[in-house]
Amino acid sequence: MMELFTAWVGTIPSFAAPFLLATIGLIINERAGVMNLGAEGIMAMSAVTAVLINLAGHDAGLALLGGIGAGLALAVIFGIMAVFLRVDQVLAGLVAFALGIGVSGFLGDGSENQTVNGISPFSASDVSFLPKILAGILDQDWLTYFAFIAAVGVWFVIERTDLGLRLRAVGEDAPAADAAGVNVALYRFGAVLAGGVFCAIAGAHLSLVGAHIWVDGMVAGRGWIAVAMVTLARWNALRAIAAALLFGAIQALVPQLLSSGMNVPVYLIEMSPYLATLAYLLIAGLFAKGADAQPVDLGRPYLREERR
Amino acid sequence: MPRLVLSPRLAATRRFTFLVLMGGILTGLVISGAFLLTQGMGLSDLASQFIGYTFGDPEGLDQTLTRAIPLILVGLSVAVCLKVKFWNIGVEGQLWAGAMSATAVSLYHIGPEAVRIWVMCLAALIGGGLWCGVCALARLKLRANEVVTTLLMNYVAYMLAQQLLYGAWRNPEDSFPVSKTFAPGETLALLGFGHVHAGIFFAIGAALVCWWLCGFARVGYMAKAVAANPQAARAVGVPAGMVVLLMATLGGALSGLAGFTIVCGEEHKLTQFVGNDFIFPSIIIAYLARSNPLGVVVASIAIAALYTAGDSLKAFYQLPGATVLTIEAILLLCVCCAEFLLRYRLDWIKSTKVAS
Repeated sequence: MMELFTAWVGTIPSFAAPFLLATIGLIINERAGVMNLGAEGIMAMSAVTAVLINLAGHDAGLALLGGIGAGLALAVIFGIMAVFLRVDQVLAGLVAFALGIGVSGFLGDGSENQTVNGISPFSASDVSFLPKILAGILDQDWLTYFAFIAAVGVWFVIERTDLGLRLRAVGEDAPAADAAGVNVALYRFGAVLAGGVFCAIAGAHLSLVGAHIWVDGMVAGRGWIAVAMVTLARWNALRAIAAALLFGAIQALVPQLLSSGMNVPVYLIEMSPYLATLAYLLIAGLFAKGADAQPVDLGRPYLREERR
Repeated sequence: MPRLVLSPRLAATRRFTFLVLMGGILTGLVISGAFLLTQGMGLSDLASQFIGYTFGDPEGLDQTLTRAIPLILVGLSVAVCLKVKFWNIGVEGQLWAGAMSATAVSLYHIGPEAVRIWVMCLAALIGGGLWCGVCALARLKLRANEVVTTLLMNYVAYMLAQQLLYGAWRNPEDSFPVSKTFAPGETLALLGFGHVHAGIFFAIGAALVCWWLCGFARVGYMAKAVAANPQAARAVGVPAGMVVLLMATLGGALSGLAGFTIVCGEEHKLTQFVGNDFIFPSIIIAYLARSNPLGVVVASIAIAALYTAGDSLKAFYQLPGATVLTIEAILLLCVCCAEFLLRYRLDWIKSTKVAS
């Protein structure tokens, strides 16, 4: 039992990291008032590109950069639609989702199921004086470490800097921000790009760290979960760490339980984080708490020439 | 220096709207076609696959019409919800809920056998309606964003279905994760043309009901007011919340009905793949039809034809399964961007010299 627990705890960070990266990416988006439902597509584009570059013999760092580039290309398309052409954000996000999943299917066609080196974990377990469970937790790769550091960094930029203040102003009250001299479209587009970078890193994490292969459909709804996790984290990058750990813990638990041969309702366990998020949404609404956290101008395109 | 200025267009003429939308669809088709040409297909292959096979060949037409049945219903589901500006991203969950409700009626022998199929239909309507209705209620009472709640409810329904299929409902004879096959009286009749079943009457009937409801009934008129300006609607005495709740529940019920037509018309049992790949098609259908219920029927048949062509492209040209999704995405992208011209005007404003 103890062994199972140790193994489970050790795998949580790498399961949580892609959720965390995508969620902080979406938090950047939504704090500027842009809802991006295309995270799933951006992650798929980046995951497949990273694997292709790694398969071509380049190292993991270059693969990660390539993945970011591919994800960013899709974020640019989404940004042009949502910010400059003022297409309904839900619609623009769905287009980005479908385009990303579709094009990644074409790109990866023929390179499926080929193992790549990807990124390997450090071996903290070699350090003998560490307790076993702690060593298990520290036994991660640099991209996973980066995810947790990035969350703190993003929180700091959004909540504690002038740049973040302007970003939040654009998301909370675009006309006021515009009157104060902030270029609303530019900030929103910038937020889409920055958010796209984090979603792309999340995708590269999935293929380079997690699976070490590309399979069609391997993002498996994680981008959508990230959309919901933004709500669970109440648009706060630090709380996103807790939300990601919750989803990561449940996802890491399932393979452990299956391999241990225990007879448990796997699907009900997998369902629990979704129910938890729903319950959280409802409870937050009941006490009018979460509603305050949602950026007021989320989903509303802004044009100076248009009456609100 | 002249400056480019964007301003909202107050009204676009009918002709201009039509031209812009057609232009968007055509651009999308041309880009998709060019994309497929780069994948090693010839022009004549494209024509024979997309027009000849999907509509000209009995087998292809059969596949297209069969697929169009649930697509019409989920398309209507999104369209009806859009009438009150309610984004229904959860048609898959509602479809699963409807399919599970219908299956439960069959497995637990609820209601007299003579009208069992109608009980199943009713159960599917209620299951799907509840699945979407609670999200509408959560938005109205608790200000929960419906994009997130309907999305999450997809996963809840999917996981619940898997749990049942691997648990209580698993077929006892061969222990495959599918439910027991329905009795003959619990299925929809085939119409003598391939796999096309009586569900097509449900789909077209639903489209007609929605068309009447949205265009001629009082609730449709109220929905228009609520969508245009909820505050103003409330001020003149329209029960805005009730209208949103009603339309969203109706939308969910339509998706549930789609689940019913799949389990009773196509599969004759609950399988693991009943509710896969409906979210994006439902959105694109509703959008291309501009939320017009009769337009949804046309758009659904066109999208169903795309799937038929996609299946044969996969089989004969080894194109990946993502082909259809890519084409759908390109189409929607082009139409969305074209619509920009309907809503905004681009003007060059010449700078005026200020006399000094």
